[in-house]
Amino acid sequence: MKKGLISALLLILVGAVSVSGCSTQESASDNQTPAAPQETRTVQSIPDSFFPATDKSKSPEAAKKRTDTVVATLTEPGGVFNPYFYKNGYDGNVSAAIFAPLVSVDKNGKPIPRLAEKWDISDDQLTYTFHLRPNLKFSDGSPLTAEDVAFTLTILHDKAYDGDEDIFETQIKGGRAYKEGKADTVEGIKVIDPQTIQITTEKVNARSLLILGGPVLSKAYYGKGYKPGNLEYLRTLHGKPLGAGPYKLEKYITGQEVRYLANEHYYAGKPAVEHFIYKTTEGDALQFFQTGETDYNSFTANEDNLELLKSLGYANINVYTSTAYSYIKFNHSKPYFKDKRVRQALIYGLDRQKIVDTAYQGYGQVANVPVSPVSWAYTEEVNPYHYDLEKAKALLDEAGWKVGADGIREKDGQKLKLYYLTTKGPLSDVLIPIAKENYKELGVQLEAELMDYNALLARTAKGDHDLASFSTTMLTDPSDGVIQFGSNRSSSFTGTNGYSNPKVDELLEKGISTLDIEKRKEIYKELYNELSDDPPYIFLTYRKLLTAHNARVSGFDPNGYTGISGNLPDLKIEPIQ
Amino acid sequence: MKAYIIRRLLYMVLTLFGASVLIFGLYALTPGDFVDNNPKLTDERKAELKQMYGLDKPVVERYFVWLGNAVRGDFGYSLQYQQPVTSLLSQYIWNSFLIASASTLFTWLIAIVIGVISATRQYSFFDSAVTIGAFAAMSFPSFFAGLLIIKFFAVDLGWFPPGGMITTGSNATGLAYVWEVIDHMFLPVLVLTMLGVGSLTRYFRTNMLEIIRQDFIRTARAKGLKEKTVVYKHALRNALLPAITLLGFELPALFGGAIITEKIFNWPGVGQLYMQAFSLRDYPLLMGFTMFLAILTVVSNLLADLLYGVADPRVRLK
Repeated sequence: MKKGLISALLLILVGAVSVSGCSTQESASDNQTPAAPQETRTVQSIPDSFFPATDKSKSPEAAKKRTDTVVATLTEPGGVFNPYFYKNGYDGNVSAAIFAPLVSVDKNGKPIPRLAEKWDISDDQLTYTFHLRPNLKFSDGSPLTAEDVAFTLTILHDKAYDGDEDIFETQIKGGRAYKEGKADTVEGIKVIDPQTIQITTEKVNARSLLILGGPVLSKAYYGKGYKPGNLEYLRTLHGKPLGAGPYKLEKYITGQEVRYLANEHYYAGKPAVEHFIYKTTEGDALQFFQTGETDYNSFTANEDNLELLKSLGYANINVYTSTAYSYIKFNHSKPYFKDKRVRQALIYGLDRQKIVDTAYQGYGQVANVPVSPVSWAYTEEVNPYHYDLEKAKALLDEAGWKVGADGIREKDGQKLKLYYLTTKGPLSDVLIPIAKENYKELGVQLEAELMDYNALLARTAKGDHDLASFSTTMLTDPSDGVIQFGSNRSSSFTGTNGYSNPKVDELLEKGISTLDIEKRKEIYKELYNELSDDPPYIFLTYRKLLTAHNARVSGFDPNGYTGISGNLPDLKIEPIQ
Repeated sequence: MKAYIIRRLLYMVLTLFGASVLIFGLYALTPGDFVDNNPKLTDERKAELKQMYGLDKPVVERYFVWLGNAVRGDFGYSLQYQQPVTSLLSQYIWNSFLIASASTLFTWLIAIVIGVISATRQYSFFDSAVTIGAFAAMSFPSFFAGLLIIKFFAVDLGWFPPGGMITTGSNATGLAYVWEVIDHMFLPVLVLTMLGVGSLTRYFRTNMLEIIRQDFIRTARAKGLKEKTVVYKHALRNALLPAITLLGFELPALFGGAIITEKIFNWPGVGQLYMQAFSLRDYPLLMGFTMFLAILTVVSNLLADLLYGVADPRVRLK
């Protein structure tokens, strides 16, 4: 036990050391401001790009020998291979190969048909009718019908359901009644014929289509022995999944590999590559890519990794943009943040460009709206908040914060001293010294404290912070990135500790109350401008992702929304002479 | 003797009870829990899930619920893996045991041999060289040594696989499988042995030096015994006695997993599982695993004490 604990401590230490590497070191209690770097370098922002392999024949022997198998890396699958029950995002990746949804999204986040051939939405935008493709089958050959879709949506309403999907957001008619045990079926789910299902909701919600059109579970397989209020039996099936995706599970070797076989019943035809494997690896696992044990890896996006991958010769390299964004959130329960000029000043007074350039060396860009540049909702027509010390000073003066004798601004006897909480990482290593220096010039004292992620969540939920750094998860719909700004939301992680703006509330509601993408674009543009004027967060950055695959495999085209899961049916191995 | 063992067993139960209170308390005090660290959930959904998992109950009540089940051998379901904790641990623990036992064996063998030689030839060139070597090996951080070794032996020379336990996609069975695992074990065991051998060598050297200066050794030599017999039969046996206690401490370490080395070599061991469980605050798994190690520690202490009596008549209980 002792050894285990010590090792755990050591690991934290090691993690800290290896992450910071050669970047600026800064301890939390350190009050010295580091000297400004003398050398100035302009960092070019790297666009999304593809670098083809220069010499495929350099591919390692081990990879060349694998003529019917493609190996990709995955950090740590946990064995819950069910798209609605997994607790660990990597199991989500594993499930995505086995289970196909009715509707998926393309590389700009727009819906595209998968198992559903098409769908109709009624004029009042409340009723969805999905038309399934003809002759759909699960990987065991049994038919996939509208009954299976109905079953899937029904168990999500079960009161014992403990997964991440929040079906109640779609407000299917009669859903609550089913959960409370007042009805035997969900009233709004109606099977018209084996290929058609109609779902009636009670509220227009632009997010509903993707939730309703999710992966399909087999009623015959997962519904055997189902009684409302009891889903315990499903646990035994998590390791033996059955779906209608391009691959089926062959074998899961705990902590090592997930092996798949091509599904001959897949609707678009059996995938060309017979075996697909997710290999469990830590970090970027470059050594496996170099020795040819893996065909597809993802790396930290930076110049060194890109150069190294290029030098291998056999790597096809993709640089693309993540759908997440990172930010510093204000604690809106603090009285000094009530005045929006103070918040604006803190954005103008922070050299975000320098922070992003230093931390990511061009593999990241400054964020000004809470949606990724790859989304259809992205816009540049908002205040860019370029670094402007004078403007920041003027705003604080206007708000009544005057510079005191010690250079720190004060108002009504209170000094402008801010506590910033964050986790250790490449961004915070760079951000803390720059922010301290920037804010000192502005007359604001910044105290930073580093902690682990769980502690950060707990502390910010209590409101211990003035400022705190976070990054979102991957976001699909633009509403995912703004939902926390509504005044009726108060979740600890995404929450704002009390941000409230009636206009934002109204626009948030409007943004999801129509399914017309053109209309939504306009609404989100207005919303982003309002959020820019009355900022809930300091938006920081959108990051780039870097992946590489052995050029002997074609068909990999990862995107920020679905990663490589959408590419799996199209993979092909091209023999190398 | 019987009364002694019974008394010790009673102490054991008390110790374990104390340990469980401490462990549960510490995990309960660490900020954050399994539900809170999921950013996608609304407050309403979080409350529902906490109720389902029993996380909304007061800590004391949760402890006794857990204890009640644990006494019956039920350590619950891992929140993250949705599997019984015991079956989950058994999937990972033997992998850890494999490299830990191999490296412990080599560490002890090498340490004993080197320790004895450098003690009998104190201040010789061999002694100084080994001392320097031992300290150098000890002071290498394992992540650095591991990465360096992967670069040289796996990537550049291609002699050994860079990590994992089997070749990706391999369907080997029987002897071929055993050989494959041994091939993959080599580098992690090398690193673990390198790190462990230093301190143990110093320990044996000191023990030997002390023993060799004692009167009974002089007597043995005076009776005309060969130097070899004196060193290996009389001195070494006595020098090994305190090592029994040390060996007792090795037992939990055998199952505890080497977190860093396992991570670097991609070894599917329990150390990785533990780290993952900790970062997600998977309490049932954390509690189950830590208690398992606590039990091992207490049991191995008892074993060490009993074995000591067997090996050394002077401390035998009347």
